[in-house]
Amino acid sequence: MSFYRIACLALLLFAMTAGAALAQDDIVIDFYFPSATANDAEGIFQRYADMFEEENPGITINSVFSGSYTDTRNTILTELQGGGAGPDVAVMLSIDLYSFAEEGYIVPAQTFIDAMADGDAYISDFFPALMANGVDEMGTVWSIPFQRSTPILYYNADLLAEAGYDSPPTNNAELVEIAQALTTDERDGLLVPVAGGFPIWMYQSFAIAYGQNIVSDDPTEVYFNTPEAVAAVEFVRSLGTDLGVGPAGGAAWGDTPVAFLAGQAAMIYHTTGNLSRILDGADFEVGVWYLPSGPAGDDGAGYGSPTGGGNLYIFDDGSKSDEELDAIWKWVVFLSSPEIQSDWGATTGYIASNATAWETEPLASRAMEYPQYGVARDQLQYADKEFSSYATITIQGIINKTLESILTGESEDAQAAMDAAQAQIDGILAEYK
Amino acid sequence: MRAQTPRKPLVSYLQPYLLIAPTLILVLMFNVLPAIRTVSDSTHRPARGLNAAGKAPEYVGLQNFHDLFDEAHYMGARFLRTFRNTLVFALATVVIAVPLGLLLALLLNHKQPLLGLWRFAVFYPSLLPLIGAASIWSFIFSDSIGLANAVLKSLGHPGLNWLGDRNLVLLSVIIVNIWKQAGYFMIFFLAGLQNIPRDIYESASLDGASDLQQFAALTLPLLRRTLLFVIVISFIFAFQTVEQLQALGEGGPNDSANLLLYLIFQNISERRNWGYVNAMTIVLIGVVLTFTIANFLLFERDESN
Repeated sequence: MSFYRIACLALLLFAMTAGAALAQDDIVIDFYFPSATANDAEGIFQRYADMFEEENPGITINSVFSGSYTDTRNTILTELQGGGAGPDVAVMLSIDLYSFAEEGYIVPAQTFIDAMADGDAYISDFFPALMANGVDEMGTVWSIPFQRSTPILYYNADLLAEAGYDSPPTNNAELVEIAQALTTDERDGLLVPVAGGFPIWMYQSFAIAYGQNIVSDDPTEVYFNTPEAVAAVEFVRSLGTDLGVGPAGGAAWGDTPVAFLAGQAAMIYHTTGNLSRILDGADFEVGVWYLPSGPAGDDGAGYGSPTGGGNLYIFDDGSKSDEELDAIWKWVVFLSSPEIQSDWGATTGYIASNATAWETEPLASRAMEYPQYGVARDQLQYADKEFSSYATITIQGIINKTLESILTGESEDAQAAMDAAQAQIDGILAEYK
Repeated sequence: MRAQTPRKPLVSYLQPYLLIAPTLILVLMFNVLPAIRTVSDSTHRPARGLNAAGKAPEYVGLQNFHDLFDEAHYMGARFLRTFRNTLVFALATVVIAVPLGLLLALLLNHKQPLLGLWRFAVFYPSLLPLIGAASIWSFIFSDSIGLANAVLKSLGHPGLNWLGDRNLVLLSVIIVNIWKQAGYFMIFFLAGLQNIPRDIYESASLDGASDLQQFAALTLPLLRRTLLFVIVISFIFAFQTVEQLQALGEGGPNDSANLLLYLIFQNISERRNWGYVNAMTIVLIGVVLTFTIANFLLFERDESN
């Protein structure tokens, strides 16, 4: 017993002195990251941390894998709401901005950019579409793009060629035509993963392509019951009903790439985050193209896509020293540098978020070898911001539930359901005006 | 015998309290205080809008409960639907899984070849971590690549969208729950059955009672306490279901298979909904408590007659 006590005491003392020693010498940055891909994110971040620590003696990166995006957001909110320390830097969804900004937990990256010698050059290297969700209505930059993605169209080029189609569809009339030609008893022509709790992201592709995104730069405005928004959801619903090219109610998120790789779906909508996995896993020629979600415009095309994925956020309640904040910003700049973005993009398929990264190895040669990597980057010209507003979580929930009720046929009258949702949303947003 | 000392030292007065103190402190910290806090928070509306973190919540009386039962309110619509689902889910578990557990126990209470294997096979689902088991089920139920539809298609049926069809998804979740619970309940019934002396059955057989008569007149009344216990825990488990929903469609399209505790979990992260989350918790506890007490009273009174 006494030996046990002494051992415990010794361990405690050791832990205390070790902690104190570390605190004296090193600034420790707690870095939380989620992973939505099958890749070994922990191993990759450890490699980045090692590189960074070598370049910056005196700073230690404490990388913490924090589960899914939702887990990460909830973990951090719970920690901070309970008075805990939380992370110093975290990768969270680009749309989490207002959830944290309205609580006062994060600080704008703008302050640090303004203090940089080459701040303008640093920020203008990022693709504008990927910056949209990180900037507030006043133009202040809050978060820096890190692991960004968009949905894209994956198609089985062998099947399309067999049916006499040399090129992928460019608008939703062509999309339906090809999907119907490729639908058999054993195979779906087109899977759009709107089932499983998160239809809003895929739906936004259609809303944008129909001509009206459901959000703007103003976080107090949502446009969910416009004619374009209604037409877009009615089109998605018809894919599983009248047009008969996929399951009624839509496909489930996780099943969709599996069905595609197994030859049970000719075309799918899915995230660029799965590009490497799909290219490596397919035993047929995989084509990748912009999302042809809308009616043909003047140029015959009907493209539209939301952006997605995670940004780097900086947490400070005002208690951190300038030295600590400097170290934190160094880590953010390091992770968003062309070198790391190039490596991260080539390893995972996420869209490297700055232009220079695409001219940097290893992504430059990877994109040369597989032109599919460049498609998502080039689609950014048709992309608009992902849904985000004040009270994002609640309002996104209302939109998801409404979309599900329309897509599964529970609400036959889409306009009426969306009017009711819009009224609830306006009621909530009124508190922020 | 030793004579008692006239005066006890202080420490022996304190000793019992010192001994229960660790437990008491933990119970106070993690049960009693949160419970009081829940009641208090359910009557408050958290500060909303910008920089809400620093502002105090506002007392609103029973307004949160009122909103929960308002179909037009964004939280009320979800709560009412989820509450109905939870009742259906709990009832289905009690009505199907409990008799099934009893039936399995009766079948496996006789000596037969491979008895251990059968019992293990039936009990096995209870040993699996539910989230893992539910993930396997979500593959079985998958629309395009799932096992259930592969079987249906081989029989000429076009297949069902188990987790995507709003009319089916609650049933899918119930099926998984029954698969999970029936074997667990069986263990309690088996234990109950083994406590019934064999000779009662022997004398009943000599008197010419059929198997069914023996079951109705002997087994069921003698299993009453076990049955009560199993019904109560099956009901409580049903109200505590969370994990399998995470893997089986996260409550289904438009909450068509959502359950109360999972809805609470889903809404916990945004400050504005804390009042509702606490009000829902009160409703949840109220229902479970009412049911438990009513069930005990009914059975206990029956017993004494």
